[in-house]
Amino acid sequence: MANLNTRARQENTYEAIVVGSGISGGWAAKELTEKGLKTLVLERGPMVRHITDYPTAAAAPWETKYPRGKLPDATMKAHYPVQVRTGYALTEYTQHFFVKDDEHPYTEEKRFDWIRGYHVGGRSLLWARQTYRHSDLDFEANAREGIGVDWPIRYADIAPWYDYVERFIGVSGQKEGLPHLPDGVFQPPMEMNCVEKDLKARSEARFPDRRITIGRAAHLTAPTEEQMALGRGKCQHRNLCSRGCPFGAYFSSNSATLVAAERTGNLKIRTGSIVTSVIFNEKTNKADGVRVLDEATGKEIEFYADVIFLNASALNSAWIMMNSVSKRFPNGFGNDSDQLGRNIMDHHLGVGAAAEAPGYEEMYYSGRRPNGIYIPRFRNLGDAASKRSDYVRGFGYQGGAGRPNWDRPEPGFGADRKAALSQPGPWLVRLGGFGEILPYADNRVTLNHKVKDAHGLPTLTFNVSIRDNENAMRRDMKSAAAEMLEASGFRNVRELDGDYGPGLGIHEMGTARMGRDPKTSVLGAFNQVHACTNVYVTDGAAMTSSSCVNPSLTYMALTARAVDHAVSARKRGEL
Amino acid sequence: MRPETPSKINRRQALAGATLTFGALWGSLSAPGAAAAQGVLAWTPKALTSDQARVLDVVAELIVPATDTPGAREAGVPAFVDRAIATFCAPADAGALKAGLSRIDADARAAHGAGFTTLTTARQMALLAVYEAETRAPSAPAAVGRGDTETGLSNRTAAAPKGPPFFALLKELVTVGYFTSQLGATRAVRYDPVPGDYRGCVPLKQIGRAWAT
Repeated sequence: MANLNTRARQENTYEAIVVGSGISGGWAAKELTEKGLKTLVLERGPMVRHITDYPTAAAAPWETKYPRGKLPDATMKAHYPVQVRTGYALTEYTQHFFVKDDEHPYTEEKRFDWIRGYHVGGRSLLWARQTYRHSDLDFEANAREGIGVDWPIRYADIAPWYDYVERFIGVSGQKEGLPHLPDGVFQPPMEMNCVEKDLKARSEARFPDRRITIGRAAHLTAPTEEQMALGRGKCQHRNLCSRGCPFGAYFSSNSATLVAAERTGNLKIRTGSIVTSVIFNEKTNKADGVRVLDEATGKEIEFYADVIFLNASALNSAWIMMNSVSKRFPNGFGNDSDQLGRNIMDHHLGVGAAAEAPGYEEMYYSGRRPNGIYIPRFRNLGDAASKRSDYVRGFGYQGGAGRPNWDRPEPGFGADRKAALSQPGPWLVRLGGFGEILPYADNRVTLNHKVKDAHGLPTLTFNVSIRDNENAMRRDMKSAAAEMLEASGFRNVRELDGDYGPGLGIHEMGTARMGRDPKTSVLGAFNQVHACTNVYVTDGAAMTSSSCVNPSLTYMALTARAVDHAVSARKRGEL
Repeated sequence: MRPETPSKINRRQALAGATLTFGALWGSLSAPGAAAAQGVLAWTPKALTSDQARVLDVVAELIVPATDTPGAREAGVPAFVDRAIATFCAPADAGALKAGLSRIDADARAAHGAGFTTLTTARQMALLAVYEAETRAPSAPAAVGRGDTETGLSNRTAAAPKGPPFFALLKELVTVGYFTSQLGATRAVRYDPVPGDYRGCVPLKQIGRAWAT
């Protein structure tokens, strides 16, 4: 019997375990395996193989079950009452990449839009692919303003890792030389269309501090040999990205990091594996491994490793840690600071401005650019001119111009209407803000033992809201956008004031923040759990502040940096 | 998957080689020509009665007639609408659409003493003009086109108001069905499944029509 147990333990022992296979988990898997560690990736959902498991990727408009590929209201209500809140992402074409809310309940003390995909690749298949660096304006902000805690790193610590990640994933973009939106390793930028070019020229003439650039997007426009060797190719401008890209043109775990990891021969992916807790060893003060609920059998299995990376997403990594109770950690694994599950951040959005752009009727474009324009933050940059008295931090705009096709209101019926709809509609321009949310300790999730999921596991209760600072910023996000469109001479400029609930930015962050002091933070400068240094958390949970830029690039860079640290520390016998 | 359009052959035979253009449609207003009912429906309704289906077969073609490009019937739109009513529409909308199709026939009989499908095109169009007027409510949704990116605000606008009159629902389904059909998407507008490059400033003349997607 003892032999059997020893053998079972050996079979379930790896050098590294990665929990989750999304955008950061894929990076942990790639880096750990490339550095020679036998690595087990535990994924709670099913396998999604690159290309072969993108069933809708090549579906033509007429190969649809429902009009426009929209799902019936009854299906939405029954299975996707939360996922539908994005308003656009969940369709017949992408349905298999979203969780069914009825199978994954949570409790909203206040509204929280928790948009999820449980499968290999996670939301790296669904992300909007906008890719921006944080700067020292972000890393120094908390310390400067006395908000939350100080980041334990500065731009110089992460800059080489941004380079490293961008070189691998491929980012198309334009260098702008802005200190607060550092340039990166870019492939050729995508083109602006006529109206966007004129918006840039006219708005910048009036507001020189509001730079307008093409979005920096994780799409290959000039693939490197390394990327092509992984089977990835150039962006074909189909803009069907969220179905999975058969050209491997946008970065996902499935198209890139997991492929690279698999090629090392050191990777094992185990699907249907719900990690329920970290196994803490009181004697060694290290984690021995993790407990898994095997979805197929309902049985508990333990896996062991020297190094553990939690990459289950900000909220699920926090859930695992909160659910990992031991004598040493009665309030959740690594939670000496009581910061676990707190300081939840997102990016607030939904406000901006829109206008019509007459005078360009003879111009159009070809191809469907999976990207828009970007206007980097121009408020509170540290100088007097950009200083706001009504709020701290700032926002960026994403937007663009385009002409609607037949899918627009057109009165009447008959041949005239058909002819009108066969031509493009009027040029429309939109700018939508993405604003920074401050870390508030009482914006938190807690473990709910009364509401259980289908496996009998506790669930999360959310209590998250935006406050005065964000609301003041939102007013500025509207009026500043409108004045740029006015300055560009566009017509019918109107402010947009859309619906926003925390989570809708799909940028959840902050539940196990990095910091300098174990008393006030969960993770240290290399994403190690302060109190258990062979466990690293490198997804959105680690974020100490949110910046206003899309966060995935920073998760990836933090992950690569943390793996480098972990492998060195392990060699030195420190883990 | 949308079934292949079995009406294709019938439609071509019915046209008997005539090129039905924009002008030809208007020239045919006095006779049951362009949108006239087929003797036998070329598709089997799932949600509609055969009377409603016959009316739909004609109304769809009146909403998107054959011109220099195929019309709704040849593109299989009536069957698409029927299937949407059967599998997609909310119950209230499905009820409104079915009742609306029945009402068209009842109105035709009340006004002209004959079923809608047997009226002249001019009379059919005049009846539809009445329903069209009902859709012109002052609260009609503002023109918000689709964004051409998947990012940001453009796709996060609020839904249209609830409960539009049946003709608005019907026009919507016929229009979607037509421009997402193989014939509509590839002939009436331009469909390019794999554009390759993106070019931001191209004279519309070089492209000619709106993009299908």
